[in-house]
Amino acid sequence: MNFTLRELGSSLSRNKTMTISLVVTMSVSLVLVALGLLIQAQTERTEQYFGEKLQLQVSLCTDGSRSDTCIGGAASDEQKQAVQEALNDNPEVKSFEVRTAEENYEAARQTFGQSDTGRKQLEVLSPENFPESYFVTLKDPQEFEGVMSQVSGMDGVNSVLSLKDLLGPLFTALDKLKWAAIGTSLLLVLAAILQVSNTIRMTAHARRREISIMRYVGASSWHIQLPFLLESLLAALISAALAAAGLAAFTGFVVYGFLRDKLGTFTTWVRWQEAIVVMGWTTILALLLALVPTLIMTRKYLDV
Amino acid sequence: MIRFDHVSKTYAGQKRPALDGLHLEIAKGEFVFLVGASGSGKSTFLRLILREERPSAGRVYVAGKEINKLSSWKVPKLRRQVGTVFQDFRLLPNRTVNENVAFALQVIGKSREEINAVLPETLELVGLEGKGHRFPGELSGGEQQRVAVARAFVNRPKILIADEPTGNLDPATSVGLMKLLDRINRTETTVVMATHDSSIVDQMRKRVIELDDGRVVRDEARGIYGYQS
Repeated sequence: MNFTLRELGSSLSRNKTMTISLVVTMSVSLVLVALGLLIQAQTERTEQYFGEKLQLQVSLCTDGSRSDTCIGGAASDEQKQAVQEALNDNPEVKSFEVRTAEENYEAARQTFGQSDTGRKQLEVLSPENFPESYFVTLKDPQEFEGVMSQVSGMDGVNSVLSLKDLLGPLFTALDKLKWAAIGTSLLLVLAAILQVSNTIRMTAHARRREISIMRYVGASSWHIQLPFLLESLLAALISAALAAAGLAAFTGFVVYGFLRDKLGTFTTWVRWQEAIVVMGWTTILALLLALVPTLIMTRKYLDV
Repeated sequence: MIRFDHVSKTYAGQKRPALDGLHLEIAKGEFVFLVGASGSGKSTFLRLILREERPSAGRVYVAGKEINKLSSWKVPKLRRQVGTVFQDFRLLPNRTVNENVAFALQVIGKSREEINAVLPETLELVGLEGKGHRFPGELSGGEQQRVAVARAFVNRPKILIADEPTGNLDPATSVGLMKLLDRINRTETTVVMATHDSSIVDQMRKRVIELDDGRVVRDEARGIYGYQS
């Protein structure tokens, strides 16, 4: 073992520049993969937050509402009754859930609570500022227009939001970002694989005397490959650590430092737990990226 | 110890076979000179023993194993029983004599204790006691070749293959090296030596196998070099 470690040391110092460039390429590509995965986690989280079941949000009038259907001020009990009956009778509605003003206030406290400005806004808000609302689940999520046009004209209804419509652009943007990150990372992954195989070819050339003697005296393939595998393993672990640090920085500065703060009212944002899961995946990917080409290339160049 | 059973070898892309129906046996403890012009098939013969090549036809047995049937992960085990010495020594220039010899044992996973136990006696056997800490560059050609022999023999192989081991040595030094190979041969180690050195073959009077165009044209028990190159 001592012997193999010494071999590793001398090989690393010989391949210093190659190893550094490999580590740089690999960590950048891993950071991009990590961002792609984090965006994916964000998309899932957003979908979950608004609920997949939830296609329409019907908000009733409050005293402050200004739309034409809110002339009478806050929705009266009769108006509430009429809207609920309309929803019950509509064949496209599967079910709906009533959220009281207090419950809406609670939900707002959670999203607003993510940032300082949100917390300040909360100080002047009370449950009276929030309407009663109905979260409607449709039988077919695409068929929301019938219900929308029927309910939106009713007295006492301030607004009807299709959350799919509202969040569509966000999801599209996130999706594009995700694929851009993953696509760019694929190019870098290719570069990393080529660099691994280049490094091995150079090392194999630099060590050709040792390797030919090893073969003649009957060293096992395992013994011949081990220094190469350890070198790649080390590069992979360093890259994975750098990528994890990059992701941690992103999560800390961008997600916690900006998104949760400035865009907290919009949706809930990914947390450390999700970032750590992503780091696990990129570490696994780093190991595969380094070890698989190493195994293939050592077989090819060392003739073991 | 080594048996060639109607062995032919034709390299890919070549019409003429490098070996053509070779049929011979080398017994345990024999000392054999392999002679013949360049291209007569000597190298192919040695490469087959080391299982660097496989025969195109026929069977090769080395140390009781048929090499055609040997799966590739067992080849290292075979090679541990066959020591190899080359014309150009093939020492590692940045390692001392001790390290060069120990290298052969380290890479087959021997422990430091095992290595330390056999290293001094091996250096003594090849006549390099006291020079273990020198680097190859500080040694004469003859001494370097002795290091190479020590490396090939330190694991006590059953067979020692030497490919033109005196090719880079002056006559006097060559004689010394041959005495060493003879000493190794007396430990029941089979020695197969390919050579162009007629005076050595004539002096030693050992078995001589002459190859020409991939065929055995002479196989004498106490032969001489006997052909003009």
